[in-house]
Amino acid sequence: MMFTSQSVFQLAWVLYSLALLMSLGTGKRRVFTLFFLASGVAANLVVVLFRYHQAWPMLPMHLGAIALPLCLGFLAPFVAGSSLPRGQVVERILLALIVLLAGTALCFPKDFYLPFLKSKTLLSHSFLWFGLVGKGCFAVSATWALTALPLCWSTSCGQRLTDTMHHCHRWAALGFALWTVSMFSGELWSYLGWGTPVVWEDPALTLTMAAWFFYACYLHLHLTRSWNPAARALYASLGGLAIIALTCVPDFGPFRVPF
Amino acid sequence: MMTRLLPMLWHTLGSISLTVALCLLLTADLVWGYFCLNRRTSLFTPLNDMGLIAWMQTYGINNLFFSAWFFLLLALLALLAVNTFACTTSRVIQLLRAKRASGLQRLVFKLAPHVMHYGLIVILAGYLCSYLFTQVLTSSTLVPGSHLSLPGARGQVSLLSFDSEYYLGQRLAFWKNEVITPKARLLLSDGASQREAILSCNQPVRFQGYSFHLIDFAPKSLGGMKMKTRIDLHIRKDPGVGLYLAGMALFTLGLFFYVYEWIVYREAHK
Repeated sequence: MMFTSQSVFQLAWVLYSLALLMSLGTGKRRVFTLFFLASGVAANLVVVLFRYHQAWPMLPMHLGAIALPLCLGFLAPFVAGSSLPRGQVVERILLALIVLLAGTALCFPKDFYLPFLKSKTLLSHSFLWFGLVGKGCFAVSATWALTALPLCWSTSCGQRLTDTMHHCHRWAALGFALWTVSMFSGELWSYLGWGTPVVWEDPALTLTMAAWFFYACYLHLHLTRSWNPAARALYASLGGLAIIALTCVPDFGPFRVPF
Repeated sequence: MMTRLLPMLWHTLGSISLTVALCLLLTADLVWGYFCLNRRTSLFTPLNDMGLIAWMQTYGINNLFFSAWFFLLLALLALLAVNTFACTTSRVIQLLRAKRASGLQRLVFKLAPHVMHYGLIVILAGYLCSYLFTQVLTSSTLVPGSHLSLPGARGQVSLLSFDSEYYLGQRLAFWKNEVITPKARLLLSDGASQREAILSCNQPVRFQGYSFHLIDFAPKSLGGMKMKTRIDLHIRKDPGVGLYLAGMALFTLGLFFYVYEWIVYREAHK
């Protein structure tokens, strides 16, 4: 029996979906959630390694669509390990996001581009991976902000709101640092390969910069307390999810029947 | 009148509300830019080589429907640089005045975000300098034994040989017998002395203020149609490159100190 990367990724999606279903329950189901999540991550990792095997030392093209669920899968247990009861809610939303992203990657794959010679540098790989983990942190931050929204209109949840927004800020700051490192790696790569820090052939660069300015703005809002917590939570949640979705767009291809 | 107006202007230009507004506008503008760039990539490709002013006077001004976002981006970035400078400088002056109260080590950590802000300004200045003043010699081709002269410099560059490594493994089926590491051996002579240098895909060669970037080459594979050996170069004299690399280094340094302070002081003392 022959396994293809497509069939293994289908399996990963099924396992992620099972993890999401299990997370909706309580009690001992948590063990099953972690089991299915770990299995999904393992299957997803196999697909990513397979794509790398087909391209190394060059960069596999448009790997982001299938590698972002993997990054989120790795990050999810750290979020769930939080002492806050909201950690569970965040974990559920994250799992839903993983299922959604993996499902979209299955329906709109962009796996038909061959790698190119100029990507044979560590800078291209660090550009990809710092960017992906950064985007994963942004997603966790947006998820924390989503869970903060109901607290914003409650009069007795001041401390809980502060704690939740603190988590949101922490993940956004970490994501921003990684995103910056990714951008700098990309710019250095671009300079060494093409002689210019910005290669205007790639439209995705504008979305990368847009996300950078979006989170620079968020960090300024948080540190200066310029807006009230409700407005900040709304910005970080809905705005964050919108900007993350936009940065994913270049990695998706035309529709293909997923199964 | 002027003595009151200047501080007011400085305060307005350095306001955090302006920073927030500019960042939001930049985000929206860049998203708009994505759709324009996606539909008309060829419109922006010459920007890599022909310089900002020439591009604006030709491609930019004649395709405003698709290039307006770029003009807006330039204006917003200029405003952001001014805003960042005013805001950061005001804060740094305050911090330096309060130096005695906080101690030197704490001061270094408190300055970290401001180092990042100054780093951003240096990066933007480097980009502007690069896009305004870069001289580009596109599509310069060298064959073994031929040479080219550099404008405004005494030097000559010639191609000694093109000794590439070919991929002979089985794993990358699509790359079998193709060049995996192109290596062009160049002879760089400035009249008085000469030296050899290896030029490869992500390994440019610098000589007399110019940088040489390998854009294309032949032959590309062992089999198939045998093509004559040649390399195509982009030769650039970019006065902005040092600035934006310094800006990145400055930003990274500030980021490192900021993250260190965050972990050591803020998180550890929670």
